[in-house]
Amino acid sequence: MTAPVATLSDARLSLAGNAGRVDILKGISLKIARGETLGLVGPSGSGKSSLLMLLGGLERATGGTVEVLGRDLTAMGEDALARFRRNHMGVVFQSFHLIPTMTALENVATPLELAGVADAFDRAAAELDAMGLGPRSGHYPSQLSGGEQQRVALARAAAPRPDILLADEPTGNLDGTTGAAIMDLLFGLRDRHGATLVLVTHAPDLAARCDRVIELVDGTLAPRAKAAE
Amino acid sequence: MSVRNAARIARRELRGGLSGFRVFLACLALGVAAIAAVGSVRESLDQGLARDAAVILGGDAEIELTYRFASDAERAWMEEISDAVSETVDFRSMAVVPRGDGAERGLTQLRGVDGAYPLYGAVGLEPAIPLAEAFDGTPEHPGAVMDPVLIARLGLETGDTFRLGEKTFVLTAALTREPDTSAGGFTLGPRTLVRLADLDGTGLIQPGTLYESEYRLALPPGADLAALERQANAALEGAGHRWSDTRNAAPGTSEFIDRLASFLVLVGLAGLAVGGVGVSAAVRAYLERKTGVIATLKTLGAETRTIFLAYAFQIAALTAVGIVLGLALGAALPLAFRPLIEAQLPIPAVYGVHPGPLLEAALYGLLAAALFTLWPLARTEQVRAATLYRDGAQAGAGWPRWPHVAATLAILVGLVASAAVLSGLARLTLWSAAGILAAFLSLLAVAWATRRIARRLARARVVRGRSSLRMALGSAGGPGSEAGSVVLSLGLGLTVLAAVGQIDSNLRGAITRDLPEVAPSYFVVDIQTDQLQGFRDTATGDPGVTRVETAPMLRGVITRINGRPASEVSDHWTLRGDRGITYSADPPTGAEVTAGAWWPEGYTGPPQISFAAEEAAEIGLSLGDELTVNVLGRDITGEITSFRNVDFSNAGMGFILSMNPAALRGAPHSHIATIYADRAAEARLLREIGGAWPNITMISVRSAIDRVSEILAGIAAATTYGALATLFTGFIVLIGAAAAGERARTYEAAILKTLGATRGAVLANFALRSAIFGLAAGLVAIVAGGLAGWAVTTFVMETEFYFEPVSAIAIVAGGVGVTLLAGLAFAWRPLATRPARVLRARE
Repeated sequence: MTAPVATLSDARLSLAGNAGRVDILKGISLKIARGETLGLVGPSGSGKSSLLMLLGGLERATGGTVEVLGRDLTAMGEDALARFRRNHMGVVFQSFHLIPTMTALENVATPLELAGVADAFDRAAAELDAMGLGPRSGHYPSQLSGGEQQRVALARAAAPRPDILLADEPTGNLDGTTGAAIMDLLFGLRDRHGATLVLVTHAPDLAARCDRVIELVDGTLAPRAKAAE
Repeated sequence: MSVRNAARIARRELRGGLSGFRVFLACLALGVAAIAAVGSVRESLDQGLARDAAVILGGDAEIELTYRFASDAERAWMEEISDAVSETVDFRSMAVVPRGDGAERGLTQLRGVDGAYPLYGAVGLEPAIPLAEAFDGTPEHPGAVMDPVLIARLGLETGDTFRLGEKTFVLTAALTREPDTSAGGFTLGPRTLVRLADLDGTGLIQPGTLYESEYRLALPPGADLAALERQANAALEGAGHRWSDTRNAAPGTSEFIDRLASFLVLVGLAGLAVGGVGVSAAVRAYLERKTGVIATLKTLGAETRTIFLAYAFQIAALTAVGIVLGLALGAALPLAFRPLIEAQLPIPAVYGVHPGPLLEAALYGLLAAALFTLWPLARTEQVRAATLYRDGAQAGAGWPRWPHVAATLAILVGLVASAAVLSGLARLTLWSAAGILAAFLSLLAVAWATRRIARRLARARVVRGRSSLRMALGSAGGPGSEAGSVVLSLGLGLTVLAAVGQIDSNLRGAITRDLPEVAPSYFVVDIQTDQLQGFRDTATGDPGVTRVETAPMLRGVITRINGRPASEVSDHWTLRGDRGITYSADPPTGAEVTAGAWWPEGYTGPPQISFAAEEAAEIGLSLGDELTVNVLGRDITGEITSFRNVDFSNAGMGFILSMNPAALRGAPHSHIATIYADRAAEARLLREIGGAWPNITMISVRSAIDRVSEILAGIAAATTYGALATLFTGFIVLIGAAAAGERARTYEAAILKTLGATRGAVLANFALRSAIFGLAAGLVAIVAGGLAGWAVTTFVMETEFYFEPVSAIAIVAGGVGVTLLAGLAFAWRPLATRPARVLRARE
């Protein structure tokens, strides 16, 4: 295994709920290699998405460490995490999460602009073209179909050429055909740019396309995953 | 059935509480409260004026004579019909306090009163001694009481002496309350009271002196006032008298109160219009949240009508709550601020809960709520069941069906008509309604333009790379933009404020900046004919004096036009009460005769009249018309033989009516003068002329201008408070919009943070967005307020308009500041919330 791009050591996450604190992740230790495609599977509520959020610095671990590209995310502030994300990560969600007040082009250009890229709009336009969405670049999210929205989200995640792509059930809201097309694009991106891809999915066929699959059960790594690690 | 079903659905929906309707309730309650409060104060004052009419008037009836006292026969008639009669005389004079070689002089409104004064009410003195004792003075000098303002100005203390005309008085007390002053109008000098008999020997009342004698009558209970007024007209026929009685004790005051109150109600309606934006936005937001419920109900078989009624019932229930809250607040406010109102308006008032004004406010509230909620309610019809399965963002964006549009228009007409009828100022109401409507449409257009421009700019190359600015512009111009509600709610209040600012600065500028350039230094009255030459020599002999103008001055009432009573011909201001009139052999310097011809030199034929051209045109007078003027009880009828331009704008001498000398020379009269002098010479002139002729009254135009400026400042302040109240409602709407947008901003912030935006960048984006809207509203306010200011300055004040940049800049800054404040108040949660929580909640 090459040098890991991310290392989790006894990472824990517990959140305050109405019925008291709930332990979401109960001590996850995991290494992810550079360029690897990792599938996260498991039943609903097992903590897959939470683990992805920890990796993206979108959620802060309440115990253990989360090290990504040599930086300990648990020791970084909100803004430092934001800057880290824009320089190194792309995130794709099940519900797309496009900014509704921005056109497709503006959505894609935003992370580039935030990173201070000079030709942000040209690159964003090229990325949309690559996704086959050139003619739709001036449209708002509400004017796009689900598949189109997810393609815009993919373009937005990929445009800054991130080291790590995090995808949280990217086909969960799409029909089978559209979902398959999106996954082709996602894996294509990974192949083109050589990024590490961490994918949360329920679909066995998608999981099968990953280099490695780990399973979470009730906030812990299932024995199979432990064994694989 | 649909009604019962609708009511059932409405009841279930309302179980969720009123938390989403705080802005709705606040806007409606504030608007209703403002109108109810103003109406309650007006009713309190009206009832107070009616209750204390006799005290305010000083008697059950009053007869006022200009320039003369009542004859024995007239006095006998008054005593015959009354239980008691009080005689007073009122005129301007100078109070003089000798100081070393010189003297301190102050203009005063001097009043001589007899022993019966006051018939009703009591005079307030400090120290609290009886008035008769105060007038007794010392063995050497008669006593006088004086307004504390004048006492302070002259540096007097109780026991000090001062001169009125040629006689010395001793100050025995400060006059803290004069029971019958509420009925009086504008006066330049503070009051001094002396015993009427003590005016003998002052030399102040001479033939031609400008004074008014007033006779207050205490009438037997149940006296028929209308019959007595008719009798008075017969008994004093042609004497140029003025009759007032308790039926309308203080016509000027009650008219002022009514006008001010009506005006403030109109301002309140503007506030309600701004609040309506908030009401409408709240209903729209509520129904958008309910889109899923509506679609589900439709899926379950609910008809469009049932759904419309279900939400209409909810809004009606909330409207009732809002109106009740507003009425409670509006009824309580005048009681809470009673001391403040009493200090500002020293008029008797009957404070309490008055149902009339509350009903009026409730009606406005009901109509406004209907007007602003019908449109969003009508959109429930456009929600389709399919919305459940597709994105509903585009639902309900079109026009409602025509019956709803027609009903909205009918409610608008009903609201304006109610205001026109109930305010009693139909014309002003219609103009105001047109103004508010025009402002609304302009603001809507500007909001639309702001979105378009922001949209354009967001795509412009120059903003690329400036991510915060580009994002702010993008969301200002994109879907779900808050441009409409923010620009509308803030723009109207700022526009009123800007208009007041421009009008006020122009008006004050015209009076304080331009007028002193052309106005005389002194306006001099009561110069006796035998003093005229000496006065002229003294004034023109002063090196600082550039010009002196004098004219004979009489006061007369225009009683008939071509034989018909003047009041039947027109109610023009020149025909109400007595006016200064003059005579001269030649046209006044600089006056242009616009029609007819001035009388020939040495003309001694039947009286001829030259009338002010503009006023003649307003009344409808023509050359050859006959005017009857009552001067000192004598009717003089003359023919109008010329019209001339009279300029009142430079505070110089201007007479509406001038006659040929032979017509008036025989009547006892005095002269008035204007002195144009350097500022440095003013004190010297006052000393020299005042010293030489104690009966002459010199009115400093500069002081008069200051006094007028003070009054204007008061009116401007009252209007500004009205505008600020509108702005406050606008601020609530802004807060409502910001609160409503918080969820969307939290979501946006979460995505932006995921994409790598720091909190600073997100905050800058939100702040810039608010600033863009504030700037747009401020700019509209400047343009619209400037236009209103120009129109009023040009067409009403007829002076040159100057754009006043300071208040304009303040208004733009205020607009930006207020929107920033409202926006940033709701930026905390979006900035503080972790992205993962927000985004996963939406999965």
